[in-house]
Amino acid sequence: MTRIACFVEKYNFQHAREAEALHLFKLTAEQMGHKFDFIFKSDLSEIPNYDAVFIRATTDPLYTSYLVSKTAWELGLRVIDDPNSIRICANKIHQYELFEKHNIPHIPTLIISRDEIHHKQIQELFDLFGRPIVLKAPYTSFSKYVEKVSCETSFRHFARRFFRRSDMLVVQKFMPTRFDWRVGVLNDEILYVCKYMMPNGGWKHGVKRKGKNSFRWGRTVTLKKINAPSKLKETALKACRIVGHGLYGVDIKEVNGEYVVVEVNDNPSIYRGYEDRWDRDIYVKIIKYLAT
Amino acid sequence: MKTGYYVSLHAEILGDRVIPSTKDCVDAYRVPILLLRAAKRGVPTIPFLITDSPKRIIQEFGLPVIVFPLSPFTFNRLTVIKSRSTLYKSIKKLSFNHRYTVCAQPLYGELISCKSFFGYCHRKDLDVKDTARRVYQIFRIPLCKLLIQKSRDSIYLCGLQPLNLDEITVSDLVKISRILSRGEGLFD
Repeated sequence: MTRIACFVEKYNFQHAREAEALHLFKLTAEQMGHKFDFIFKSDLSEIPNYDAVFIRATTDPLYTSYLVSKTAWELGLRVIDDPNSIRICANKIHQYELFEKHNIPHIPTLIISRDEIHHKQIQELFDLFGRPIVLKAPYTSFSKYVEKVSCETSFRHFARRFFRRSDMLVVQKFMPTRFDWRVGVLNDEILYVCKYMMPNGGWKHGVKRKGKNSFRWGRTVTLKKINAPSKLKETALKACRIVGHGLYGVDIKEVNGEYVVVEVNDNPSIYRGYEDRWDRDIYVKIIKYLAT
Repeated sequence: MKTGYYVSLHAEILGDRVIPSTKDCVDAYRVPILLLRAAKRGVPTIPFLITDSPKRIIQEFGLPVIVFPLSPFTFNRLTVIKSRSTLYKSIKKLSFNHRYTVCAQPLYGELISCKSFFGYCHRKDLDVKDTARRVYQIFRIPLCKLLIQKSRDSIYLCGLQPLNLDEITVSDLVKISRILSRGEGLFD
């Protein structure tokens, strides 16, 4: 019997489908003869009492989830997401430098520093990538801190905002598509394949509601793994290999029949009826991986 | 993240040897990870508790306590708390109204802050010198401030803070240049 701790925060239970998926993890683990407990931010001292840790709260090296991951890792426990994956996936600059080094096809990207924000440089970026361009903070997640800019004024506006937490920013070519592929990968194996559709009038999966602090999300269309293009799956696996061997959700754009990686996410969303629609075994596979 | 982090990151990806590594930078300034990794390598450390509950802090350690916030916005500024009423107010403030946790440690004795240059600490106490050297061997942070608690005959590592440029004096620069001219501390 493996004792598994699942690190969650209150918000993980706010969305009914996410809460259902979490309960399915617990049920699956218990049916497989393991112990599965939810632990919260005040239960970190309990980690040594477990054999494996599964993190479902949002990950970032500055969040409590990183402390959980690192503590478990240092104690020699099996952990999803491992600290190295969190460090790489939480920093888009780290990812793009790795994509560049390992020849992973990705969206044309440049990294700029605070000192490089001046009229001439901004014009050169528009000349290079065309208008609009995408401005991204390195710590983006859930479509936050990603903006499309068409003029110098809006470029400066968003850059100033993103520079509050980072000295560097990511600038990318704008590549509009009706959907982004999302490929779930665990330990070098495809878990599920879906399409994250853009909501009406949107260019990214989550669009912020005007004047509100909430998002409007596009539909999730799930495919059977076997029906997904093999080139897509190969690209996803190749991108994950440079990050690690844990659980990832790879966002990929299909442009003129070519697949380009947008980003590799650790801690991918798993919602009941979405990601698991055709591949109900993802719960068993993840628990098996943790219990190995 | 600051420019220095990205410089180290870029060099690492190019395959160069870098001190400090990006991994160690992230770990050293997160107090619980600093203490966990240091304790694993035999450095005497202070017990700590990660929580947002003042009640639990009092139950575990009593007062006075040292508290480090663990929020994404501030994470190595320390607060010494001596009274129960201050504890409740401080925890609420440092944890952003209980949204994040704090790292609480008991205050056993005297709290010392000492500058460490490539693991060299210019203090008389041999224990403090030895702790600075060992912390440098683990994390390779060239310039930093170590927070150490001294009680009777024991010392305990309790935190690490960045050393700002305005805190480096002319005599510190002389010490750093001496260390570097001896070729010590970099990749030995």
